[in-house]
Amino acid sequence: MAALTKIDAAVLFDEPACDHNRSKDARTRKTGCPKPKPGGTAGGCAFDGAMITLVPIADVAHVVHGPIACAGNSWDGRGSLSSGPTLHRHGFSTNLGEQDVVFGGEQRLYDTVVEAARRHGPAAVFVYSTCVTAMIGDDIDAVCAAAATATGVPVIPVHSPGMAGSKNLGNRLAGEALLEHVIGTVEPAFTTPYDVNLVGEYNIAGEMWDVTPVLGELGIRVLASISGDARYADIAAAHRARATMVVCSRALLSLARGLEKRYGIPWFEGSFYGTRAMSESIRGFVRLLGDDDLTWRAEALIAREEAALARVLEPYRERLAGARAVLYTGGVKSWSLVSALQDLDIEVVASGATKSTEEDVDKITQLLGPDGIVIRNGTPAELLRVVSETNADVLIAGGRNQYTALKGKLPFLDVNQERHHAFAGYTGMIEIARRLDLALSSPVWEQVRAPAPWDEGDAGHHHSVSPVRRPVGPVGPVDGVDEDEVPEGDADDDAGGAP
Amino acid sequence: MSDKPDALTVRDHNTLFKSPEYQEQRERKKQFEGGSSPEEVARVAEWTRTWEYREKNFAREQLSINPLKACQPLGAVLAAVGFAGTLPLVHGSQGCTSYFRGHLSRHFKEPVPTVSSSMTEDSAVFGGLNNLIEALGTSVHLYKPDMVAVSTTCMAEVIGDDLQNFIASARQKGAISEEIAVPYAHTPSFVGSHVLGYDNMLRGILTYLTEGKKAKSNGTVNIVPGFDPYVGNIREIKRLLDVLGVKHVVLGDHSDSLDSPATGEYHMYPGGTPLEAAADSINADATIFLQALGSYRTKEITGKWDGETVMLNPPIGIANTDTFITEVARVAGVEVPDEITAERGRLLDAMTDSHAYLHGKRVAIAGDPDFVNGMLGFLLEMGMEPIHVLSSNGDETWATRARGILAGSPFGTKATVWPGKDAWHLRSLVFTEPVDLIVGATHLKHLAREANVQLFRAGFPIFDRHHLHRFPIYGYAGGLQLLTQLVNSILDEVDRNAPDHSFDIVR
Repeated sequence: MAALTKIDAAVLFDEPACDHNRSKDARTRKTGCPKPKPGGTAGGCAFDGAMITLVPIADVAHVVHGPIACAGNSWDGRGSLSSGPTLHRHGFSTNLGEQDVVFGGEQRLYDTVVEAARRHGPAAVFVYSTCVTAMIGDDIDAVCAAAATATGVPVIPVHSPGMAGSKNLGNRLAGEALLEHVIGTVEPAFTTPYDVNLVGEYNIAGEMWDVTPVLGELGIRVLASISGDARYADIAAAHRARATMVVCSRALLSLARGLEKRYGIPWFEGSFYGTRAMSESIRGFVRLLGDDDLTWRAEALIAREEAALARVLEPYRERLAGARAVLYTGGVKSWSLVSALQDLDIEVVASGATKSTEEDVDKITQLLGPDGIVIRNGTPAELLRVVSETNADVLIAGGRNQYTALKGKLPFLDVNQERHHAFAGYTGMIEIARRLDLALSSPVWEQVRAPAPWDEGDAGHHHSVSPVRRPVGPVGPVDGVDEDEVPEGDADDDAGGAP
Repeated sequence: MSDKPDALTVRDHNTLFKSPEYQEQRERKKQFEGGSSPEEVARVAEWTRTWEYREKNFAREQLSINPLKACQPLGAVLAAVGFAGTLPLVHGSQGCTSYFRGHLSRHFKEPVPTVSSSMTEDSAVFGGLNNLIEALGTSVHLYKPDMVAVSTTCMAEVIGDDLQNFIASARQKGAISEEIAVPYAHTPSFVGSHVLGYDNMLRGILTYLTEGKKAKSNGTVNIVPGFDPYVGNIREIKRLLDVLGVKHVVLGDHSDSLDSPATGEYHMYPGGTPLEAAADSINADATIFLQALGSYRTKEITGKWDGETVMLNPPIGIANTDTFITEVARVAGVEVPDEITAERGRLLDAMTDSHAYLHGKRVAIAGDPDFVNGMLGFLLEMGMEPIHVLSSNGDETWATRARGILAGSPFGTKATVWPGKDAWHLRSLVFTEPVDLIVGATHLKHLAREANVQLFRAGFPIFDRHHLHRFPIYGYAGGLQLLTQLVNSILDEVDRNAPDHSFDIVR
């Protein structure tokens, strides 16, 4: 493994800041996070993880060294927005063929990097290894060094072949590449006492742009965003920040810890989702930047924003109150979103904890109360079972679960990377409310839950959901079956709705 | 050939008048035209978009501006081509017939065989008898139809030509044989619209063919599509009945007549309901009308038949199709097979996939009465909000029905129903109470462009987009078709207007 990634994965996984890891015994700790289980429909690979972490850097040419599919399948698939350059949305690949596999792809990689640098004038070129180029033994470090000399542009090798492990490991490997090759190589034009880094914020749907102005009002400057709407030079200057916030990502704890170890930058974990989480994150910065004046100003801003938000959310709260939600996301979001939903008087009846730490689970349990369900097994059938058991009105989860929810005839709100709406910060809270209201009040749900008229007799086979939100009456000449009259579905039957 | 580099560039009307010489010429001509200044033109144009102008516009009593309807004989021609070997003959001046053929050809992209009795000034004075006799004789001789379906233009109606007598005279005089079927319908353009003309002609055809054919039940179900601009609808309905295992006859089946394969040969009558089957329709177990409002003339005769008459909203969307399937299953006494339940489930699945992009969209819809009412069901099911609901050939009966459909959904509360209004009224409506989308036929493209609102083409006529009529909007498969077109046209618009950074790969 070490030869493939140039980095000892065991070292990476020995993550003292990860309380999940801390809770293991000495021997199992070294084995790190669990390896992907064969036969499971697991998530992405290490390559995918590295791409997710780094591709949002907008002024960089991201070159995938491998056959076409690695670049092709990941090309432009995520909604990380840039306010300026769009070079990151180009899919650069060496597009390896059979001949290259036999004779080696180093020359092709060198030529590709030089051509990409010449044609597009990027701030840097990132080169991603893949399973194939790792196996044939291309010396990517050497090629990158040679190409950097030839072009005068930084060429950064990212050793993250898919077979190295999970997506999570890929995130870490990407963070490692930044620490090794990028951070500390550029000095910022100027610094302020309130310069901070964001780690694991990807500016999905431009949501970071709802957060940075709020921080800016306090004088807090985001020096380096890793990596939403990022520029190479800003990340290269990240070592001059005074504080780091790890946003919703356990995977990049190692990067935050690296920044602390190498440059003495303190860090904290937070989230921008939900009123309370956003306010707590502001306080997190204030704590680390340590300044009485800032504290005073921050509290004034928080009070003002929360009051304003409460007014705007009032009509939504009236419409959403009492709706029952099942939340299925990973990590910090599994509890930070709970508070966001509770701020809207939505009852969160279950929350997923597949990718969460024990600490996260504690927080979930605390927030949900004794009746709350913690979902540890996130298969589609299990999700739909919980939905049915809890009589939920809405599933809030990532895009991958969207179509499962839809098969379960359940309104769905996408809170993961592929979504098109900005949910972060105080402004994002309004958008969450608006989107939830839209999802819940669509007349499609009533249609979809009612059995076909000729099946009314055995309506019990259909997934039945609580009739809390029934904004829509029957449409057209045929009366839909009244939801109240549909007998509760047998829980075992509901799995049939899952793919 | 010139050796200039652009010698091979042929400039057409899209580019020619943008060239400087034409632009200059246009500017120079203005001094002789005595026109208003561009500022004044812009000011007045802007004023016509205000509430003040809207009130004046709606105070209009006599003038129609851009009415969204065609006339009776056009519908009669469509009804006629729905029967096998049938030649439509329009009794009147020939210009009208030329219009009908052109109008239908532009929509269906197919030849439409129709003949005229070519009346002129003298026949207006002395009556059209001789023209009709000659027309029947010539057309039967030339085009060898099994049936000639005669309808009338205004000219014949104003002078009061009596078709029944004229046709009898033609037989007496030997212009046509006794064998050939010649049904007729009086179809003045100054009454009703193409929808009524279709209904009248269908009634005429069925009256003629079924006369004296009453016998015991033949175990079939009659389907009457009515004036249906979608040949795909008729095919889809037939497929559904096959899947249901119901023996059926479509009365007025123009799906093959107006959508024939390119075989290298021209067939004048490529399809249509067989005349024997149409004659036997009187013995069916039931007759199901898919356009309740546009069928009341034909219903008067099927109501006298032994079988049941069922009047339905067009099966567009889930609930309307549910009604259709349930009713067919009921009158035919069959179970709905799982295959149809699965189709229904697939449409519902697709609706959940796409609903977020359609939910809450404000819509203006205009078109034929039944089409509008059918579409309303689907739009409301998707959570779209009709704002302006307009039908130039819709009457108070239509409006009452439409209001009933809208009242059944909270998404219908913002709508106003406008019977008998025209596209110029719609223009005022769209400017004063803006919408996100206009649903209707090609003639709305001008106001849609001026208002910078997307036009979703549906209904009749669609001249400027190809092949939409070949795919169904009826049934669950048709609903999927409609949903696909609808959501994708909205996504096209989302992409067109997206800033670079939001120009997403996944929607």
